[in-house]
Amino acid sequence: MMRRTISILLILVPLISGASGENLLLEEANKHYTDQEFDRAAEKYEQILASGKESAEVYFNLGNAYFKTGDHVQAILNYERAKLLDPRNEDIDFNLKVANQFVVDNPERLPRPFFSRWWGNLANSSSTDGWAKVSIAAFLFFLVLLGSYFFSRSIRLKKLAFYVALPLALLTLLSFSLAWHQHSMIKNRNAALIRCPRVTVKSAPSATGTDLFLIHEGLKVQITDSLDSWKEVQLSDGNKGWMKDSCLVKI
Amino acid sequence: MLKKVILYIGVLLVGFQSQAQDIRLVMSAPNAVAAGDQFRLTFNINERGENLTLPDLGNFDVLMGPSFSSSTSFQIINGKTTQSRDFSYTYILRAREAGTFTIRPGSIEVDGKVYQSNSLTIQVVTGQSQAAPAQQQGQQQGQQQERGSETTPSGSISRNDLFIRLELSRHQAYKGQQIIATVKLYANPNMPLAGFEEVNLPTYEGFYTQDIDIPQQINFKREVFNDRIYQVGVLKKTVLFPQQTGSITIKPFSITTLVQQRVRQRSFFDDFFTGIQTVRAKLTSDAVSVSVRDLPPAPACFSGGVGDFRISSEISQQEVTTNDAVTLKLTISGTGNIRLIQAPKLALPGDFEQYDPSSADNVRASDGGVSGSKSIEYLFQPRYAGDFKIPSVQFAWFNPASGKYEQQSTPEYDLKVTKGEGDQGTGVVRSLRKQDIQTIGQDIRFISQKQVPLKEKGSSFFGSTLFWAIYLLGTAAFAVFFVVYRKKMEENSNIALVRNKKANRVARKHLKVASDHLKKQQGEAFYDALLKAFWGYLSDKLSIPLADLRRETAVEGLEVRKVDPGLISDFLAVVDQCEYARFAPSGGAQVMHELYEKAEDVISKMEKQIKR
Repeated sequence: MMRRTISILLILVPLISGASGENLLLEEANKHYTDQEFDRAAEKYEQILASGKESAEVYFNLGNAYFKTGDHVQAILNYERAKLLDPRNEDIDFNLKVANQFVVDNPERLPRPFFSRWWGNLANSSSTDGWAKVSIAAFLFFLVLLGSYFFSRSIRLKKLAFYVALPLALLTLLSFSLAWHQHSMIKNRNAALIRCPRVTVKSAPSATGTDLFLIHEGLKVQITDSLDSWKEVQLSDGNKGWMKDSCLVKI
Repeated sequence: MLKKVILYIGVLLVGFQSQAQDIRLVMSAPNAVAAGDQFRLTFNINERGENLTLPDLGNFDVLMGPSFSSSTSFQIINGKTTQSRDFSYTYILRAREAGTFTIRPGSIEVDGKVYQSNSLTIQVVTGQSQAAPAQQQGQQQGQQQERGSETTPSGSISRNDLFIRLELSRHQAYKGQQIIATVKLYANPNMPLAGFEEVNLPTYEGFYTQDIDIPQQINFKREVFNDRIYQVGVLKKTVLFPQQTGSITIKPFSITTLVQQRVRQRSFFDDFFTGIQTVRAKLTSDAVSVSVRDLPPAPACFSGGVGDFRISSEISQQEVTTNDAVTLKLTISGTGNIRLIQAPKLALPGDFEQYDPSSADNVRASDGGVSGSKSIEYLFQPRYAGDFKIPSVQFAWFNPASGKYEQQSTPEYDLKVTKGEGDQGTGVVRSLRKQDIQTIGQDIRFISQKQVPLKEKGSSFFGSTLFWAIYLLGTAAFAVFFVVYRKKMEENSNIALVRNKKANRVARKHLKVASDHLKKQQGEAFYDALLKAFWGYLSDKLSIPLADLRRETAVEGLEVRKVDPGLISDFLAVVDQCEYARFAPSGGAQVMHELYEKAEDVISKMEKQIKR
């Protein structure tokens, strides 16, 4: 009797907890990963993504599963995707760094001006939605303060409301633009990974172009232009050139 | 007495016997001769003997002999005289046919005892009879080569008469397997060598080398090479350990030799002055190549040893106190590339202070290769008390003979550590022992187990309808609130105006009620109505709610509106009188009437002075 109750409960729990098929899949995939069956875990994670759902965790776990099966390019790709959704997660950064050790090329990073660096760091300190929420909260609070500025009888309260409302308005604008920045990064997806083991980057979008440099799989590049099936890519050291898009996979 | 004599005799006999045991008969002859050539077979003995019996010589004819000679030498060392004698019997023999022959031991009788000599192996080659034509051929060849290149021996020395050669013990080896390289000089026995100049020995690139000690003086031996007899001198012997795989070529090397040669006389006078001339001949060797195979995949505990080794270990002490130094000594002995072996890893338990192992080599290079031993000392200090196990050291080496890895391990040692006297660790000392966490391996972090709700792909709160809706609704709500509140405030201010305008009328109404009470002589009600008239008037006039209205607030409000101080004091006097009279009614109609008139007067004056 007792046992039956428990088994019924066990069946009911996932149903009650509202676990959709994807959440069940996620649990199964995590279990495969824990049991060291990385191939099957990766398969399950891919199924979740194929159903049109996503989360930073799924990408991160998929990256881990690929890393364990030895597919470092796919691992880096999924870590990068996870990082887009959750730029603050320290685990993602760490695993990405480990996976990047398997990339042959190590182009020197071009020094960015300090404001661009600060802006990027600031934007990365929260996700799009995080910034969006900050922006809305700041805006609503700003409105409240504005109201109390207008209608307060006390002069001191008016002053206080004014001086708090001003930075709040700035915060609203700032967080809005940071959210915009993050959002456009996700929407545009200009970054891409090299998929082929070796790619020769050419000076022009044609097979007859001069060979400029040779890059290897797993390297992250920025797509700056495209023409037919050719893409202009930029390396982090500033070098630019054209290559076929068949060897690129967008993050 | 008799016993003593017997003892003496016994001692003497032993002495004789010991002398007799020293007698050795040695047979010697060149180890290579040409058929038809004469050579000497010599028997040496250090005691006079008789009845020398030659063995069956078979292929060799005795041309002459035995010729006998003897020599005696005395040596005095520290006053002790030793005498050595040598008797030799020499035969001159000639070989009939080519081939390799063994001469069985000969024997001799000394004092009635028969002693046997050693046996000899002699290689007989043909061709000495054709030596002359071959030499002529060689001369032509030499002249041709002389025209062709400068490296050939000059004069009439042919490459067949004088050359150098690098001899390797093997031409195929594993990486690290030892090869013995011998540099040999081959010379025709008839060619007198005077000396060397410019000796450029091979450099053995791609090998780790170790020289074998050979006598300084070059010892020429007869040897057969390509069916010819040569005087062969060993110039250098080296043990080579290949350090790279593939085909390694040892570059040719060269030696310039000085050869004494008889010069052909060109004129009659030459004969007086010359006859023998020293000729320089530059000899160049051929390149020799060795093919080196890489070792098969190595086990984890392989530390570079190729050869045949044994390992043993020894621990200095097994019961120590904390911070005592303990030494584990590992001895690797055998033949092979001992010098190139790295110290195997000793995986000590944690918290042991371990120092870099020191190693000492004791190796000898000989014709059999490099052999010896390497001792490695691991020094460590246990830091904490307890019973520990010093793990066994695994040592693997590659045995080229079997083509396999072999492995041996040392025994495990128990180490008992007791707490030392001076180890009462204070806080300061402990802080000194802080150490960084050792990184053992690197791996990615584990997956996230969080059950985060999944989102639709590409969806985000930013830019969603809800996001914009909150902005819009917030703004709209604010606008509505602003408008509504503003209006209400306006209305409120209108009410105040109305009340202000009505104030006089309301006050008059209250005053009328008061005058009614005055006529009826109702004292208490009269004062009440009078106060109500005042307070109600001020409340409306100063826009202060009745509840908040007291004397102080009223005075403050009046002062703000610039009412005459005299009027204010009049007002206060009326209020005081009213409140006083309320609790203690006194005076008659006259007083009440005066108060009424005064109140009426104050209110009408105030009405004039308070402007909106």
